[in-house]
Amino acid sequence: MTHLLVMILFGAIVGAVMGVVSRETAREQLRYGLKVFGEFMVIGLVLAWVLYFLPL
Amino acid sequence: LANREKREGKPGEREMAPANAWLYGALAWLMPGTGHIFQGRWGRGLLLGGAVWAMFITGLLFGGHLFGFTSTDAGTNPLLQAAPAIANLGTGGLYLFCSLLGLNFAELPEQMRRATFEYGNTFLWVAGLLNYLSMLDAFDIAAGRKS
Repeated sequence: MTHLLVMILFGAIVGAVMGVVSRETAREQLRYGLKVFGEFMVIGLVLAWVLYFLPL
Repeated sequence: LANREKREGKPGEREMAPANAWLYGALAWLMPGTGHIFQGRWGRGLLLGGAVWAMFITGLLFGGHLFGFTSTDAGTNPLLQAAPAIANLGTGGLYLFCSLLGLNFAELPEQMRRATFEYGNTFLWVAGLLNYLSMLDAFDIAAGRKS
């Protein structure tokens, strides 16, 4: 499994749980879950590129 | 002020959670998802429980290991073990089952060589942390604080 797939799996599971426990209606839960998932993806990819340019 | 007191109760007065809320919270910890399922919240229970189970099993498949509160490894500080152990403990029955059988507590060299070893540990920690959220959700629903 690639690192990207691991990140997608992690973001999807955490997004689903956060959406369900944080909001009341199904529509709000779906929207919030997708928002959390999207934030994981965007922040993860940005951090990956920042680390790529650092001489570690 | 009168309206506020009516809505929130008098200052210093706290509404006690019913006993069954504690029971559902404990059930949710012991077996992820059951705290909701026993309240008739099948969809919510299956989703939350399934997420915790999926995270836990994936963590084990990635080669992660569980942390105990004590360690026999030389040079290991018990304080450093506490945070990951508390996170792992959130998986409740899954953690106790592995603990009783002594499964996946050792840091084996062949597991540590795997590229997904640290991912596995993270998945196992987050499985426990998500189950803590699930427990609180089951408790709040039973206490009438959430619909």
